[in-house]
Amino acid sequence: MHEFLQQLINGIALGGVYALIALGYTMVYGIIELINFAHGDVYTLGSYFSITILALIPLSQFSSGWELWLIAFAVILLAALLCGIVGVLIERLAYRRLRNAPRLAPLITAIGVSLILENIMQIWKGPSQIPFPQFLPDHVYIAGGVAIHERAVLVVVVSLVSMLVLNLLVFHTKLGTAMRATAQDRDAAQLMGININSTIAWTFFIGAALAGVAGFISGIYYGTTFFLNGYDAGLKAFTAAVLGGIGNITGAMLGGFLIGIVEAMTSQYISDQWTSVVVFSILILILVLKPSGLLGEHLPEKV
Amino acid sequence: MGSTIVTRWLLAATALAASSAMLAACSSNSNTQNANTQNSTAAGGTIIRIGADLPVSGGDASDGVPTANGVKLAVIDANKRKLIPGYTIEASVVDDAVNGKHNPSQGAKNIQAFASDPTVLAVVGPFNSNVAKAEIPLSNSLGIALISPANTNPDLTKGVLALQLRTSNPNAITYFRVCTTDDIQGPAGADYAAQVLKVKRAYVLDDNETYGKGVADQWAAQFQRDGGTILGHDHTVATQHDFHALLTRAASLNPDVVFFGGTTSTYGGEIRKQMADAGLGNIVYFGADGIRNDQFLTDAATAANGSYATVATVNASKIPAAQTFLKEYQAQFGQPVGSYSANGYVAAMTIVDAIASAMKSNGGKLPTRAEVLDQLRSGKTYKSIIGEFSFDKNGDTTNKIISIYGVRNGGWVFLTQKNYAK
Amino acid sequence: MKSKSFGRGALLLLAIVLFAMPWLDKNSSHISAYADTGYIVLLAFGLNIIVGYTGLLALGFAAFFAIGAYTYGFLASPQLGIHLNFWPMLLVSAAVSALFGLILGAPTLRLRGDYLAIVTLGFGEIVPQVFQNLDKWTGGPDGIAGIDQPHLFHYAFGFNPVPYYYLYIAIIALSVWLLNNLRNSRLGRAWMAIREDELAAQHMGINTTTAKLSAFSMGAAFAGVAGVLFAAKLSTVSPGGFDFNTSVMILAAIVLGGMGNLAGVALGAVIIGLLNFLILPQSSNWIHGIGEQLHVSSLLNIDLNAYRFMIYGLILVFVMLFRPEGLIPSATRRAELHAELDEEPAV
Repeated sequence: MHEFLQQLINGIALGGVYALIALGYTMVYGIIELINFAHGDVYTLGSYFSITILALIPLSQFSSGWELWLIAFAVILLAALLCGIVGVLIERLAYRRLRNAPRLAPLITAIGVSLILENIMQIWKGPSQIPFPQFLPDHVYIAGGVAIHERAVLVVVVSLVSMLVLNLLVFHTKLGTAMRATAQDRDAAQLMGININSTIAWTFFIGAALAGVAGFISGIYYGTTFFLNGYDAGLKAFTAAVLGGIGNITGAMLGGFLIGIVEAMTSQYISDQWTSVVVFSILILILVLKPSGLLGEHLPEKV
Repeated sequence: MGSTIVTRWLLAATALAASSAMLAACSSNSNTQNANTQNSTAAGGTIIRIGADLPVSGGDASDGVPTANGVKLAVIDANKRKLIPGYTIEASVVDDAVNGKHNPSQGAKNIQAFASDPTVLAVVGPFNSNVAKAEIPLSNSLGIALISPANTNPDLTKGVLALQLRTSNPNAITYFRVCTTDDIQGPAGADYAAQVLKVKRAYVLDDNETYGKGVADQWAAQFQRDGGTILGHDHTVATQHDFHALLTRAASLNPDVVFFGGTTSTYGGEIRKQMADAGLGNIVYFGADGIRNDQFLTDAATAANGSYATVATVNASKIPAAQTFLKEYQAQFGQPVGSYSANGYVAAMTIVDAIASAMKSNGGKLPTRAEVLDQLRSGKTYKSIIGEFSFDKNGDTTNKIISIYGVRNGGWVFLTQKNYAK
Repeated sequence: MKSKSFGRGALLLLAIVLFAMPWLDKNSSHISAYADTGYIVLLAFGLNIIVGYTGLLALGFAAFFAIGAYTYGFLASPQLGIHLNFWPMLLVSAAVSALFGLILGAPTLRLRGDYLAIVTLGFGEIVPQVFQNLDKWTGGPDGIAGIDQPHLFHYAFGFNPVPYYYLYIAIIALSVWLLNNLRNSRLGRAWMAIREDELAAQHMGINTTTAKLSAFSMGAAFAGVAGVLFAAKLSTVSPGGFDFNTSVMILAAIVLGGMGNLAGVALGAVIIGLLNFLILPQSSNWIHGIGEQLHVSSLLNIDLNAYRFMIYGLILVFVMLFRPEGLIPSATRRAELHAELDEEPAV
C-alpha cells in the first residue's frame, strides 16, 4: 500500500512539471489554435537561463534558508522574464505572418523553431547532461513509510500557485478579458477595440514565462538538465493539456498531474519501458473518443 | 495532356533502368576489382590513411572523442618513429553520431566511404555494438579490416549471430577488437559484487540498448550463479529522465545492489542520484564501462560514492610502457585520458604494425587491404601499452583482463584487476 | 511550343545523367548516398499523398517506414527462419503498411487538422518503442541483422550499391507514372477537394471517408516499399532510424520542394537526401581541406554534422515564411497561399 502512495507522490511531482508546461500550451492553443511545438524547448531554455544566472551568484556565501529561497525566487522571476521575451520573439518572427495561413503552415514553422532552439542549446552548453546547482535546503518528510522531499513539494506548490495566479489574471484582469475575447472570436474582439497583436503577444509571454518557471523547478528537482529534455516533456505536457481539455487552465493542471501519475503507476505495475507507449496511447484515445478532454467544452467546427 | 507524354518517357525510363541494372550486374564486379588495382597504383602517392569511425559529437562524444584522440596520437607516434618507411600516415576520423546519438546507418555509410578511398587501408571503430552490427557485414563484403577499441557485445564475433553478419564471406574474419567482451565483463562484475562486496539481492536495470542490455543480462546470469538473487529486471525509456517511480518499485523489494547496464548518456549518473531520493542512496550501485567516466561523477553528484564499474581493459597506469602514453596524451590534448583512449591507440598501432609487416613480406610495396587482413589474422603477439595480446580465430583479443573501479571521495579509483584468460 | 520541347530536352538530359551516374562517379559511397536518397524520395511521395494532395497533416510518418522495414526483416532473415523472396515482399510490405495506414486513419476521420497531426505523432512515437520493447520477436534494440538481400535471376545484389541505385530509379519512375494517373483520377480530385474544403466536398457528394482512408493507406504503402528497400540494402534494421527526426526530415523535403507537386516533392527529397547523406557528412572534410589550404585553424575544427537539425529547422521556418508553396509549387497552392498572406485584415 505504501508503494502506491509513494508512486502517487512520485507521479504528482513529475506531473507538476508537465502541468506548468501544459498551461502554456493550453493558453496559446486557446487563443490562436496553434500547437506551439517549440514550447517544450522554451521550458529547457528556462533551466539553461537559470543555470547561467545562478553561476553569477556566489551561492556559497549564503547559508540561511530564507536567503536562499529569496535567491530562488529572484532567479525564477528572471528566468521567467527571459523566457517570456523569447516566447514573444518567436511569435513575432515566426508565427505572426502566418496567422491567417492554412493551419499547416504555422505548425510546420513551429517544428522548425523547435529544432533550431534545440540546436542552439546544444551548441550553447554542449551535448551532454548539465548539472543544475542544488542550492536550496532539502529535507525529507517521512510519514507512514512514505518519503516526501522538499523539492517535490516545491514543484507542486509552484505549479498550484502559478495556476492560481494565471486564473486571477485570465478572469479578473482587463488583459485576461481581452485574451478570452480573442479566443472566442478574434474579429469581433478586434471590432470591440482590442489590440489583437498585443493580446496575443502577452499570451505568448505568459505561457513562455510559465515554461521558464517549469525549467527552474525541474532543474532543482532533478539536479540536471539536457538540451533534448523539452521534446519529450513537451509532448507529454501537450498530452496533459489535451486530456484536461485544451483551452482550459484547470484542465491543463489536472491533466498534468494525471499524466505524471499514469507514468508512475505504469512503471510500478507494468514496467518502466512501457510508460511512453501508455501515455501516447492515452493521447490517441482521448483525441479520438473525447477530443474536448475532461473539462473542456466541445468546440463546434465553424463552417 | 502532358501526362501521356510523361507516361511514355517514364515507361521508357523503367525499361532503360531494368536493362541498365543487367549491364551493371556484369560490370559492377569489375568495379570492385578496379578499386583494388587503383589501390596498388596509388603507390605513386605517399600517404596512408587509417580510418576511424567513432561517435565524436553528441551524448557519446565524452567517450568517442578521447578514443579518437588515442588513434590520432598513435598516428603521430608512428610518423615520428617512421614505422612505415617512405610513407606518412594520416588519421581520418569520421562521426557516426546523428543528432546526438550513435547511428548504425551512418556508420555503415562511413565504412562505405572509407572503402571507396584507396588510401585507407584499415579502420578503427566503431564504439557502439549496434553500429558494429551494421558495419561488420560491409567490412566483410568489401574486404577492409575493422578493429574496434570498445565493442563488448559477444555476438559480434562468436556464435550464430556473428555468422549472420558475415554472409558475404563467412570464413573471412575482417572484424577484430582489442577489448574483451561482455560475457567476460558482466560476470567479472557479478563476481566482484558477490564475493568482494558480498551483496546478495540485486535489482537489475538497463537502458534497452544493445550494449546496456547485453552487459546487464550477463551480469545478472553470473550473479545468480554466484548465489545471489535477482529481484527484478527493468528497462528504461530513452527520453525519460525521471526514475523515481522505477526506483521506488526497486526499493520496495529491498535490494542491496542496483545494477545498471548503460552509459552516462543514457542517464547512468542520474539514476544513482535519484536512488538517494528513493532511499537507496546507501546501497551499492554497480555498472560497466559505460559509466566509468567523469560525466558520471558530475551527474551523480553527492550520491556518487559507493558506485562501482568494470572496464573491459587493463588499467594503463599499471603498465610502464603506458606511462609515456599517458604523458604524451596529456601534453598533446591538454586533458587526461578517457576509458578507451589507450584502446584507440592500440587499435591504430596494430594496424600500423600490420601494414609495416605486410610491406616487409611483399618486398616493400604498398600493401593491399587483403594483405593487411592476412597480417591481422596471423595470430602474432603484439606487445602493446595495454599488455601482450593476440587475436584469436574469431578476431577477439586473448587479453581478457577486467579492471574494477569504485568511487571514493567523489572520484573514480582503481581497485583491482583480474585476468580471465583460460 | 518552345518551352515544351525545352522541358522535354531537360527531362531527357536528366534521364541520361541519372542512368550514367555510376560511370560518371566511380566512388561507390557516393552511389550509395544517391541510392539512399531514393528511399527519401519514396517516403516523400507517400507523405505527399497524405499531406500534399489530401491536406491531412501526418507527423508520425516514419512509423509506416518502420513497419515496412520490419515486415521485410521478419519474413526474410534468420530471425524467424522465414526467407521469402525480395520481389514479392515489396508488395507484401506495401500491403502491411497500407493496412496500418487504415488502422491509424480510421479513428481519425472526424478529427480536425491539428488533432490529426498529434494523433499521428503519438502513433509515430509508439511504433518504434514497441519494436524496441518486444525483443523476443524484433530483436529489441539490436534489431534484426543478416537480412536477405535481393537476387535478380542469378545476380546477387549484395552490398554493391549500384544495382540498388537502378532499382530505386525504376521504382521511382513507376511511382511517378502511378501518382500522375492517380492525381488526375476521380480519387485524386476527391483528395484535392478535401484539402480545399472538406465540408464542401462532403456536401458535393464525395465520400470523404473512403477518400481519406485511401490517402492514408496509399501513402503508407509507399513507406512500406521504401522500408523493404532500406532494410535490404543495409541488411539490418533497428528501431533507431524511425523516430520523429526521420518524420521531420520527410516533412522538410515535401515542404521545401512544393507540396502537392510531384516534381517539387521529388526535388525537395533529393535535396534533403543529398544534404543528409553526402553533403553534410563530407562538408566537414571539405571545410577542413579549405582550412588547411588557407591556413585558418578555426576552420579545421568545424563539424557541420552537429548542425544538421538546425539546418532542417531553418529550412522549415524560412520556407514557410517566405515561400510556403515550395521550390516547384503547384499553381493552385501558390495562388492560395499568397492570396492569404497578402490579405489585409478586415478592420
